[in-house]
Amino acid sequence: MTDNQAGRPVDAVSRRKFIAAAGGAGAVALAGCTEETGEGNGNGDGNGSGNGNGQSSLSGDIQIAGSSTVFPLMSAVAEDFQRDHSEVNIDISSTGSGGGFENHFCPGNTDFNNASRAIKEEEEQMCADSGVEWIELIAATDALTVVINNDNDWATEMTVEEIAQIWESDAAETWSDVNSDWPDEEIERYGADDTSGTYDYFIENIMGEDRGHTDDYQATEQDNTIAQGVQGSEYAIGYFGFAYYYQNSDQLTAVAIDDGNGPVEPSLETASAGEYTPLSRSLYTYPSVSSLGEEHVAEFARYFVEQTTNRELVADDVGYVPLTDEQQSEQMSKLEDAIEEAQG
Amino acid sequence: MAAEQPQPPAEHGAGADHGFGQVSRLKGVVFEALSFGASLTGIAALAVLLIYVAIDAFDLANASPEWLLTYFATLVLPLIGFCLYSANDADLTRRIVLALGGGLVGTAVVFQAFEALVRPIPRLTWQLAYLFVVVTPVTAYVVFAGSREPVGRVGFGLVGRFLIGTALGLALILLFIAVDQRLWFLVYTAGFLPAAVLFAYGQVTETRPLTILAAPVALVGSGAAIVADGTITVYPTTWLIYSWTFVVPVAAGIAGLEYRRTSEANRALLVGALTFALPVGGSFVAGTVGLSQANAVLVLLMIVVPVGAYIRQALESEGQLGLVLPVLLAAGVLLGAFIVETVGIPAPDPWLDVSYVTSPASRDPSRAGLYPAIVGSVFLLALVAVFSFVFGVGTAVFLEEYAPNEGVLGTITRIIQINIANLAAVPSVVYGMLGLGLFAQLLGLGFGTVITGAATLSLLILPVTIISAQEAIRSVPSTVRQGSYAMGATRWQTTKNVVLPESLSGILTGTILSLGRAIGETAPLIMIGAPTITFSPPQGIWGSAAAMPMQIFAWSSFPQEEFRYGVVAAGVVTLLIVLIGMNATAIIMRNRSERA
Repeated sequence: MTDNQAGRPVDAVSRRKFIAAAGGAGAVALAGCTEETGEGNGNGDGNGSGNGNGQSSLSGDIQIAGSSTVFPLMSAVAEDFQRDHSEVNIDISSTGSGGGFENHFCPGNTDFNNASRAIKEEEEQMCADSGVEWIELIAATDALTVVINNDNDWATEMTVEEIAQIWESDAAETWSDVNSDWPDEEIERYGADDTSGTYDYFIENIMGEDRGHTDDYQATEQDNTIAQGVQGSEYAIGYFGFAYYYQNSDQLTAVAIDDGNGPVEPSLETASAGEYTPLSRSLYTYPSVSSLGEEHVAEFARYFVEQTTNRELVADDVGYVPLTDEQQSEQMSKLEDAIEEAQG
Repeated sequence: MAAEQPQPPAEHGAGADHGFGQVSRLKGVVFEALSFGASLTGIAALAVLLIYVAIDAFDLANASPEWLLTYFATLVLPLIGFCLYSANDADLTRRIVLALGGGLVGTAVVFQAFEALVRPIPRLTWQLAYLFVVVTPVTAYVVFAGSREPVGRVGFGLVGRFLIGTALGLALILLFIAVDQRLWFLVYTAGFLPAAVLFAYGQVTETRPLTILAAPVALVGSGAAIVADGTITVYPTTWLIYSWTFVVPVAAGIAGLEYRRTSEANRALLVGALTFALPVGGSFVAGTVGLSQANAVLVLLMIVVPVGAYIRQALESEGQLGLVLPVLLAAGVLLGAFIVETVGIPAPDPWLDVSYVTSPASRDPSRAGLYPAIVGSVFLLALVAVFSFVFGVGTAVFLEEYAPNEGVLGTITRIIQINIANLAAVPSVVYGMLGLGLFAQLLGLGFGTVITGAATLSLLILPVTIISAQEAIRSVPSTVRQGSYAMGATRWQTTKNVVLPESLSGILTGTILSLGRAIGETAPLIMIGAPTITFSPPQGIWGSAAAMPMQIFAWSSFPQEEFRYGVVAAGVVTLLIVLIGMNATAIIMRNRSERA
């Protein structure tokens, strides 16, 4: 060791050099551990260029609210879309068709509103007041299903008039009141709540506004409750959307409905062929035109319309009736027009 | 002593009141039986529900008896043995063995007889009934008894610290999903660190101006960091950020404490270096097996510090043997898994597994997960805790310590009091509408955003928080306050140094209870438009967040049976675990503050 007077300054200099060198090396090493944060900013503008490959270059938020009936379909489509585009955040709220229009869509807070019925006039007015433009897309077809207990062997086929007698406001008390061949037992009714779109739809298409809907029934928003009630009693009857019956068809019996042309059972085939009347209805989603101006929203809308004919997703997973190819191409051209208008 | 009168034995004391006769005794016995029955009914109903939820969530209905037996032998019996060894009480051992053995025969006979004579019990076998009705309570009791003796205390203390450390680490990770870690890095580096250094330096050199300067420096630095966040594009990796902002200060702090305790610089350096090296080194190991290196460093830090401190403490006290408990448990799990694997015993396929808590919701029940909702709920609750603590305690302190009791102002105070008491009974939907109108629409905080949800839930639980905090503050004896005033302290000093520390445990108890209510609330979240389903965790407080109860509610109406039973049950168990975890953390904090 050169630990003498001459050695000291030499040593000090070398130590300082060492520190400087180590610091430099450390800085380089740290720089290796850094990362750029460009994604967020870059993509906002770079969407147009990302159009070609389509994958994961999209980013942004999509807010969806509306019908609880369309909710399972929309969330299934969103799930698949999100898998390919992880930078797109999709929020879906199940608020009911009207609640969605009133609280979320027409004030301009959401990009899509799902609806189990067409938009009403006062809702159109509300949207117009706040300058929200929209287009109407058909999402799927639902076949409203009347169900009875598996032990019930007399009412497996019913006419619209017979169903109306069971559910009108001055409703039949016993099965034999409806048809004298049927047992003299009291009818147990399970149906949708009066806040539900299904309830309105049932009145409109079966009984008519004048005859109304009976109060003497178990009203619930939960399809499970209806199903369990009907399973529990031989003399029970209920109605709900097709999806629930489709997933649990061994536990309940669907009533074949005779609208004048012989009894038709609810099924994917009869509903899409237009034979299951009067209880097949269209489900809708309403994109806002200004939101379609954003590339990630437009891309999602295109994807949604593409999926409406996907039998595996719409029918097998969710339980609604897919659109036909003609219906789909009609919706697609409507959508493309709106996108073109929005993006200029 | 010799003149002592013959007296009836103490337990027959009630019988000595001959004047009251037989009737009053009967009434008393009936009343006792009734109240015992009432308490038992509620608990039993809850227990049955929880048993079925657990069976569904963990798919125990499909657990073969061999599978149950294997883990009973490798995990439960060693645990009971450890506790009995710790308790070292022959009488207790005899009773436990008797309960386990007698319970086995008893449960089997009663269960089979009930099924044969009355009706079959769905989705429950006698082995499962034995597990829930005998093994679980016996184990709980023996753990309780064992943990009161030195060996058990050391063992369960170690396991507890390990679990708490893991939970804290996971909670931090969850928070950093929603909080931007780069912003945190800037705020820490430019704001907190200089302020802390300034404060520490001021303390050491006893220059008061420097300590006072710390707060403004922190504020200015944080503000500058928030501004800079928009312009800087290059950042360290997440791992480096966590190491720099958590591991380095904790290691430095622990080294400092060690130095202050022992005045041995080398020893302090060693402890600090170990605190730094174990999480950092461990995170590299975690990285090689495919775990996230950045997250591993957080969890490891939270485990290493309390566990290390505890082990050192335990080595100096009696009951060191308890330190083998974690090894015993881990070995039991591994051995059980090994036996199950080699013998080929069919194992249940639980709904609640790792993928359930790490994947987003799905229409396919076997793929469905709760991840975004867990993050959303925890993030919401963290904000609610801050809001309700600040506002609740603030209001309570004002009402108890400052608000006048007499005159016109006193009347106003009383009116406010009555209103707060009544607000506690307002249905949660009404608070949801208030949140929708006030926060979402009027203040424009946004529909379904984290901040709107947190503000609404805070309002919902605020009355309960205020009332319980008031009770806690009121329970501080006024003589203590008078003593403080007599020493010449001001009202602020009395409140800060005497009243609040004294009442803190009561305040925390009230806050914990109301937070438990907030995490389970669904109706207000529906009203403010929180999303029913979202596939990614919240992006900061202005992003929208799903919450666990809403997701569970949505699943409960799905048509598929797998959703209504398996997935929902797994969700309920997850919600309970998060709730119990948060409560446990808060209770430990409370007990700490009681002891201090």
